[in-house]
Amino acid sequence: MNSNTSFESETFESFKKGKEAAFTYFYDKYFCRITSFGIQFIYDKDEAENLAQEAFINLWQNRENIDSLNGIQSFLYTYAKSKCLNFIRHNKVKDKFKNDLLNHKERELDIEVLNSIQFDTLELTELERIINESINDLPPKTREVFIKKRFENKKNAEIAAEMQVTLKAVEAHMTKALKILKTKLSDYLFLIFIFICNN
Amino acid sequence: MASEIIYKYLSNEASEKEIQTLFEWIDASEENKKQFISIKKTWALSALTENISTNTTPVIKIKPKNKAAKYLKYAAVFLTLLGLGRIAFNFSQKTKSSKEIVLELGDGRTEFITKTNQSNLVNDKGELIARKLPGQIVYFGKAKDDEVIYNSLKVPYGKTFKLTLSDGTVVSLNSGTTFRYPEQFGINGKRTVFLTGEAFFEVAKDKEHPFIVNANQAAIEVLGTKFNVSAYPETPTVNSVLVEGSIQMYEAENISNAVLLKPNQMATWQNNSKKITTKSVDPDFYSAWTKGELTFKDTPFSTIVKIIQRTYDVEIINENSDLARQHFTGTIKISESSVENILELLKRDTPFEYTIKQSTITITNIQ
Repeated sequence: MNSNTSFESETFESFKKGKEAAFTYFYDKYFCRITSFGIQFIYDKDEAENLAQEAFINLWQNRENIDSLNGIQSFLYTYAKSKCLNFIRHNKVKDKFKNDLLNHKERELDIEVLNSIQFDTLELTELERIINESINDLPPKTREVFIKKRFENKKNAEIAAEMQVTLKAVEAHMTKALKILKTKLSDYLFLIFIFICNN
Repeated sequence: MASEIIYKYLSNEASEKEIQTLFEWIDASEENKKQFISIKKTWALSALTENISTNTTPVIKIKPKNKAAKYLKYAAVFLTLLGLGRIAFNFSQKTKSSKEIVLELGDGRTEFITKTNQSNLVNDKGELIARKLPGQIVYFGKAKDDEVIYNSLKVPYGKTFKLTLSDGTVVSLNSGTTFRYPEQFGINGKRTVFLTGEAFFEVAKDKEHPFIVNANQAAIEVLGTKFNVSAYPETPTVNSVLVEGSIQMYEAENISNAVLLKPNQMATWQNNSKKITTKSVDPDFYSAWTKGELTFKDTPFSTIVKIIQRTYDVEIINENSDLARQHFTGTIKISESSVENILELLKRDTPFEYTIKQSTITITNIQ
């Protein structure tokens, strides 16, 4: 409930001392996020969950080398990033398309995307704050669609049925949400290129 | 390039043909490729977030007082009279005995209430009296006679809690609060509870059994209504703000010293003068904490310090006399703001420096 700083830094201290309850706290907090991140690049939920598991095992084993609370997130993402890159480079990503050229092209692009992300602790915390703020600022309907889509992993058709709107409307909300987020996030150094939606 | 295709692709809903078109577009120019990478990056990283609140309140919403000074996100008003020569606000006497919510049962047994344990509460007669859920306890049933057994709940700094009493009355307890209440209300007589700290009451209607909150030397009597009571030991007053219905505040020792309150009014009991005064207020402002918000309206920094100490379980020592004289206005969402966030925000208005050592924050002048 409270992402209370003093509570989290205490939890971090016990984590460093090897308390399992503290580890569980961070596991619960980040597991889904690391999994969702992995899915974007290896396109397989089970594999992405394995990857996240591995990341946490490594986090536990390396807990002595983590020197700040934010270091936890940074460690997990950096691990996930390099695992995704390995996964792609060793051709472990299953072919999605009939056309092999597309499979090849997609992997190439994903490698470029991964390489463009730096999981610096400061950047992560700041980015998280901005994303949270930006999502909260979306118009209510758009936010609802966005949350259902991105955090509850629902299909457009499901969302349309739940919200009793047309499929087109759902797509329009998603486009709008991404456009707004894109613009807001572009203010941040992290993302340099402003995407103009209707070009 | 229609951006819809990109989003369709990212959510795995594009056809192979559409994807082919997309990839051709990406290959067409370096600029297109950069755009695509940028969007995919945003998409992948937006999975960073969790706990997106379903209400519409932004993280920190600060209303500037002076429209001309829009850049000034945190508006402050100087009030030189309020310095009081008091430089250090050190409330070391605050109770720091426990970090957990503690429930004391009628027979003296104590239990810690943690987030995860869900269990039933049984009294000394072996009867089921309540169910513990994450973040709240729900009592039920009525006593068979007039014998009333009191339980007491202590909410430490940094936590809040919700309680449903056996009559259906819902009580939200703020940080640093002790609340004593019958595990089951008796058949006859009044429903009497005791409060130190702050609570918001939604009293179940029952004309036969008036509900009485004893706080400090004041008592508040109601039949069925919604109201907030603030009676922290470090302040010499008891405040009660009425949202709906009607309540009466009186001196516990002298029932004739009483006032009747209408909705949107606040009654204040003064320990020193033993007087009760009333004024019109915005009740939302006083119950904002039940929604996890801190609200300040021309609030002196000294009061803000007390509130932050309770909410975040920290100790603040202020050695900056400029800041001590400041008043601030604004709203802060507790779950999404750390103490550092708040201090950084205040700093934009009145520059100061601070150091954090464990849970003690020392505020000093700029060197």
